[in-house]
Amino acid sequence: MHTESKDFDNDLRLEPPIVEGSRSLKEIDDAIIAPLNRIPNIKFWIALGFTLTLLMTGAVALGLSFYYGTGLWGNNNPVGWAFPIVNFVFWVGIGHAGTLISAILFLLRQRWRNGIARFAEAMTIFAVITALIFPLIHTGRPWVAAVYLLPYPNQHSLWVNFTSPLLWDVFAVSTYFTVSFVFWYVGLIPDFAVLRDRATGKIKKLIYSLFSLGWRFSNRHWKHYEMMYLILAGMATPLVLSVHTIVSFDFAVSILPGWHTTIFPPYFVAGAIFSGFAMVQNSLIVIRKIFDMEDLIPMRTLELMNKIILLTGMMVGYAYSMEFFIAWYSGNQPETFTFVNRAFGPYWWAYWIMFSCNVFIPQLFWFKKIRRNLFVMFIIAALVNVGMWFERFVITVTSLSRDFLPSSWAYFTPTITDFAILIGSFGLFFTLVLLFVRVLPAVSIAEIKAVTSKGQPSHAHIHISNGKSNEAH
Amino acid sequence: MNNEKLYALTALFDTPDGIMKAADAISGQYSRFDVNTPYPVHGMDDAMKLTPSRIGYFTISIGLACMSLMLYFIFWTNNVDYPQIIGGKPFFAFPTYVPIMFEITILTGAVLSVAMMISVLFRFPNNAHPLHDSGYMKAVSSDKYGIYIEAKDSNFDYAKVESLYKELGAIEISPVYYDEEELNWTPQTWDPKFVIGTLGIAAFTSFSVYMHMNKVLFLPPFNWMMEQPRADYGEESEFFADTYSMRVAPAGTIARGFMPYTYDNPDSAAKYLSNPTVPTEENLKLGQRKFTSYCSPCHGNLAEGASRLRGQMPPGPDLRAEMYQNFEDGRFYHTITKGKGIMSGYEAQITREERWAIVNYIRTLQKAYGVPAPKEETEAVAENMDNNTEASN
Amino acid sequence: MGASITVEYVKKALPAGLGKWSLIGVVVGLGLAILALTMDPQRATFASLLGFMFVMSIAMGSLFFVALDHITGAVWSVPFRRVAELLSNTLFIAPILAAPILYNIFLEMGGHGMFDMYHWTHDEVVAADPFLSQKAPYLNESSFLFRYVLIWVLMVVFRFILVGNSFKQDKNFNHKLNKTNAAFSALFMIVFAISITITAIDFLMSLEPHWFSTIFGVYYFAGTFATVIAMITIISVNFNERGIMIEGINKDHYYSLGGWMFAFTTFWMYMAFSQFMLIWYANIPEETFWFMPRMEGGWAIASIALIFIKFIIPFGLSIQKPSKSNPRRLKLLALWIMGAHIYDMWWLSYPTYSHLTDSHGPVFGWQEIGFIILAVSLVLFIFNMTAKNKNIVPIGDAKMERALNFHL
Repeated sequence: MHTESKDFDNDLRLEPPIVEGSRSLKEIDDAIIAPLNRIPNIKFWIALGFTLTLLMTGAVALGLSFYYGTGLWGNNNPVGWAFPIVNFVFWVGIGHAGTLISAILFLLRQRWRNGIARFAEAMTIFAVITALIFPLIHTGRPWVAAVYLLPYPNQHSLWVNFTSPLLWDVFAVSTYFTVSFVFWYVGLIPDFAVLRDRATGKIKKLIYSLFSLGWRFSNRHWKHYEMMYLILAGMATPLVLSVHTIVSFDFAVSILPGWHTTIFPPYFVAGAIFSGFAMVQNSLIVIRKIFDMEDLIPMRTLELMNKIILLTGMMVGYAYSMEFFIAWYSGNQPETFTFVNRAFGPYWWAYWIMFSCNVFIPQLFWFKKIRRNLFVMFIIAALVNVGMWFERFVITVTSLSRDFLPSSWAYFTPTITDFAILIGSFGLFFTLVLLFVRVLPAVSIAEIKAVTSKGQPSHAHIHISNGKSNEAH
Repeated sequence: MNNEKLYALTALFDTPDGIMKAADAISGQYSRFDVNTPYPVHGMDDAMKLTPSRIGYFTISIGLACMSLMLYFIFWTNNVDYPQIIGGKPFFAFPTYVPIMFEITILTGAVLSVAMMISVLFRFPNNAHPLHDSGYMKAVSSDKYGIYIEAKDSNFDYAKVESLYKELGAIEISPVYYDEEELNWTPQTWDPKFVIGTLGIAAFTSFSVYMHMNKVLFLPPFNWMMEQPRADYGEESEFFADTYSMRVAPAGTIARGFMPYTYDNPDSAAKYLSNPTVPTEENLKLGQRKFTSYCSPCHGNLAEGASRLRGQMPPGPDLRAEMYQNFEDGRFYHTITKGKGIMSGYEAQITREERWAIVNYIRTLQKAYGVPAPKEETEAVAENMDNNTEASN
Repeated sequence: MGASITVEYVKKALPAGLGKWSLIGVVVGLGLAILALTMDPQRATFASLLGFMFVMSIAMGSLFFVALDHITGAVWSVPFRRVAELLSNTLFIAPILAAPILYNIFLEMGGHGMFDMYHWTHDEVVAADPFLSQKAPYLNESSFLFRYVLIWVLMVVFRFILVGNSFKQDKNFNHKLNKTNAAFSALFMIVFAISITITAIDFLMSLEPHWFSTIFGVYYFAGTFATVIAMITIISVNFNERGIMIEGINKDHYYSLGGWMFAFTTFWMYMAFSQFMLIWYANIPEETFWFMPRMEGGWAIASIALIFIKFIIPFGLSIQKPSKSNPRRLKLLALWIMGAHIYDMWWLSYPTYSHLTDSHGPVFGWQEIGFIILAVSLVLFIFNMTAKNKNIVPIGDAKMERALNFHL
C-alpha cells in the first residue's frame, strides 16, 4: 500500500504519513462503515461463541458464589484480599491504556493515535465495566454493596467513610467510567451523523439520528467541540493518573510491608499503562487483521506501541529496584523479609513469572525485527498481561500471607470458582469488544480523515536555505 | 419548489484550501453563514473570523464550585452530623478528602460542560434542522466541504450569492428549503405520542421514586415496616405442629444474669444455703410488711399460728416453737420458696430479697416470744393489727 | 501546494548582557560564598547544597531533554535542543558547588569533619545506631564520593557522545547521526534514572539517614524536568525575541514549552501529595518524623507556602490555553518555576539545619542568596562561554526543517 518507497524510519528528514496508502475520504468511510452493514463472517461468530462461553462460566461461578457465599473462594485469614481485588486492579489498569492513547497522545499531538483512539477508548470503557464488577461482588452480597458505597441521606445519619481509600476508589472509578464514556460519546457524535446520513433502513436512521443529536458538521460547532475535546483530554489525563493512584492507595495507606511504600502511585500508573498497552496491542493485532484495516493502523503504529510497552516496562522495573533497595536501606526487618519472601518464599513461582514477563521479556523490544514481527509481538504482549496480573497477585497475596506475626501466616490457594470468575471477566471484556466492533465504527471516522495527507489546508512550507553556514563567528 | 421557503443557498468544495478561501471571502460580507466540514479544518475559525471558544472557563468554574460543595458535604457529614474517630485521624482529615475532591472536580467539570455544550451552545438534540436529509448534508458528512449563506442574511441576494460561489470555484451549488411539514406543524394537545410519552415518564418516575423511597431511604410509610413477615402473638403458626406462635422456652432456659434455685429438698437448702442479708431496720421492716401480707393469714400476725382463714385451710404452725427456733435460715427459705405440704411455694410472688427479709422477721418474732413488750406499744400494735384489713405493702 | 518560505540561519552574537551579568554574578556569588564559608562553614555548606541541587537539575535535566528529543523523534523540541545541549556544560561547573559538601565528607573519612551535616558520616554515631550500621555499606563516605564521581563521569561521557554528535552534525549534515544518538539516548535513560535517584538520595534524603521514601528520586526528577524546561524556555524565548534563534519558531513551539512546564508542575504536586499523604495516613513514627518538623512553627508556614509557590501559582499562571504560548507569560512562568525549585530544595534540606543548630524556625539569609546567585550565574556563565562559537540551533539535525514546519 506504500505509494513511494521512502525510508521513513531511518531518514528523519522525512515526515512520516499517519495514514498509509491513498484512500479517498469516501473510501475511508466505506472501509470503516462496511463491517457494520454486512452480516459478520463465521470467524466473528466463532469468536463471539468462545467469549460468551467464558462469560457464562464466570456468570455461573458468580451465581454460585452469591448462593453459597464467599466460602467458595480461596480467601482465608490472613489473606482476606485475593482474587477479587487482584482482578479489579488488573482490569482498571487495562482501561488506562485506552485513555492514554486517546487523551494523552492527543495532548502530545501524536497523530498516529487517530487510527486506534476510538478502539482504545472503547476498551477503556469495557475494562472499567469489567473492573466495576469486582467491588460489587467482592463482599458476596452485591445487593448491599451498591447501596452502602454511596453517601445517601438516611435516618441513621450513617455516612460512608470518606477517609477510606476504598471509598476514594468508588468515586475515582465511577468518575473514570463516566468521563471516559462522555469522552467516547462526544467522539462518536460526528460518526453517528455519518452513519445517519448513510443509513438505509428507517429504524437504523432513527437510532443514528437520536444518538447523533442532530450533528450538522457546522464549523461553529466544531470550534466548541474541539475545545471541549481538548479540555476532556486535558482532564482525562490527570484523571487516569489519579484513578490508578487512588487504587494504589488501597494498598499504600496501610502499614503492611510491601504495601506501604511511597512509590506505589506512579509505579501502579506505569504498570497500568504497561498492561493496558499490551492488551490493546493484542486486540488490535487481531482486529486489524479481521477487518482489513492494515493501512489505517499501520505497522508504524504497532511499533510505536511496542516502544511504549518497553518504556513503561522499564519504569516498572525501576520501581521494583527502588522498592528492593529501600527495603534494604530502611533497615526495617519486616520490610526486608517481605522482599526476600517474595522472591524465595512459598510464592517464588509467582514472583519469577512476574519478573520475567515484566522485566526480561519486554527487553526483546529493543530489537527492531522483533518490534515489527506480528506474531512475536502478540506473544510478548500476552505475556506482559500475564506478568502484570501476577504482579498484582504477588503484591496482594505475599504481603498478606506473611506479615508481622508468624503465627498468623497462612498459604492462600485459589479455588476453581476464583479462576472461573477471572475467566468470566475476560469473557465479558472480549464479548463487549466484539459487540462494539460489530455495532459501532471501530476507527474514528472524523479523526482519521483529518490526518490524511491532503486533509488539511497547506501551510506555507519553510525551507532552510543555508544549512551550511555554521562556521564559527 | 416555487412556493417553498428558502433556508439557504449552499456550495460544495472538494479541497480544504478551496473552502478556506471561500470562508475567508464570505465572512467579510455576510454574517449569517456557516461552514460544514466532515472534520475540523485547521485555521477555519480564523477564516470565519470566529472568537475562540470560552467553554474552558465554564468547565473550571463549575468544577471548582462543585468541588467546594463536595468539601462542604464531607465536612458536614464527618464533623457535624456524625463525627467519628476513624483510625486515630482528626475529624477534619483534609489530606484524605483531597482525592475525592479532585475526582468530583473532574467529574462535574467534564459532564456538566459537555451537557452545557450540547444543550446550550449547540441547542441539541435537533433533528429538524432544514439541512438534515439534504444532499448537501450527505456530501459534507462524507468527503466534501460545504458553505452556505442563509436567506435571512440582510445582504442575501440569490443571484449574487450564486455568482460568488461560482467565482470561488464551488463544484456544486444547491438551495435548501424549509420542510413544509415542519414549518406548518403546530402542537396538538392530545397528540398520542405526547400522551403516551407523558404517561410513560410519569409511570417510570413514580416507580423509581417509590423504589428509591422504599429501598434506599427506607422511609415510612413506604418502607412498610408496619407489615412484617414475623410471627405475632396469637397468630396461628404454620411452622409449629401445635400451631402456636408463642412458644415456651426450652427446658433449662434461664434468664441472663439469673441464678436458678437449685435446692430440691429442705435439707440441702438448710445445709448449704446461707442468709446473705443483714437484718437492718429497713430489711426487717420489709420483712414485716411481706410477712403480714403473705404469711399472716395462715400463720398469724405474730407467727403464733392464728389463722384468719376460718377453717378454709388448716392453720399454719406456730413458728415460735422450739422446733422452728432450731430451723436453719435456709430451711425457712426453702419452705417459703417451694412450699411444704399444703402450703404452696411463694417463689413467684415473693422476691428472693423479700424472702430473706421474712426469714429475718420470723427470727425477730422468735426472739421476741416471751419477752414482754412495753404496754403502750402492745396496745397500739394490737389495735393496729385488729384494724388491719388491707394488705400492707 | 502551499507557498514556500525560505529562511536562513545566520549566526548572531549572544546578548552582551548575558556574559557581563553572569560574570558579575559569579564574582559576587563567589565572594559571598567564600565569606559564608569562612564565617559559618556549616551554614554555607547547607547553602551550597541548594546551589548544587539546582545545577545538577540543570546539568542532568538538560541531557535528559536532549535524550528525550532523540528517543521520541520529537520535532517541536529540535530548535531548543542546542540550548539544552549547551546547558549540559553545567556539568563542568557542578563540582564547584559540590566542593564544600564533598570536602567535608572527605574530611569525615578521617573522622575530622568540620561540622555536622550528614549524621552517617560520624563513625561513633553509626556504631551506636543499629540502623545506620546496617546502612553503612551504602551510606559511607568513600562510596558516597565514589558514586558522585561515577555519576559525574557517566554524565560527561554521555554529554560528549550525544552533544558531540549534534555538534558534528552542524558540520557534516549526516542525518544518520540522529539514529546513533537515539540509540545512545535509550541507554542514557537507564543511566539517568539511576543517577538522578542516587543523587537525590545521597545528597538530600541522607540528610535524615533514618528516613526513606521510594518516591524520592521521582520527586526530585519532577522538579528537575520542570526547572530545565523553564531554563530552556527563558533562554530560548529571550533569544528568539532578539532574533538570535531561527525564523520559523512559532507560537506552537512556545505552546509546547508552556505545556510541559504546566504538566510537570502538576506532576510535582502529584508526587509531593502522594509522598505526604501516604506517610500521614499510615502515621508510622519511623516515617512521619521527617514531616513533623516541617509542620511546626515557622516551618509550617513554609510548607503551606511551598504548595502555593510550587503548584497553585504556576498552575494558575499556565492553565489557560493562550497563556502557554504568550512569550511574556512564559518568561514569568519559567522564572517562577526555577525559583520554586530552589525553594523546594531549601524546604527539603533546611529543616535538618534548623534541627542541627537548634534554630527555631526556618533560616534564609545572605548566605543562601549568595550561593544561589553563584549557582545561577555559573550556569549562565558557562552557557555563554560555550555558546559563543556554536550555532544556537542544531542546524544540521535531520529533523530541523520539519521542526520549523511544526504545527499543533
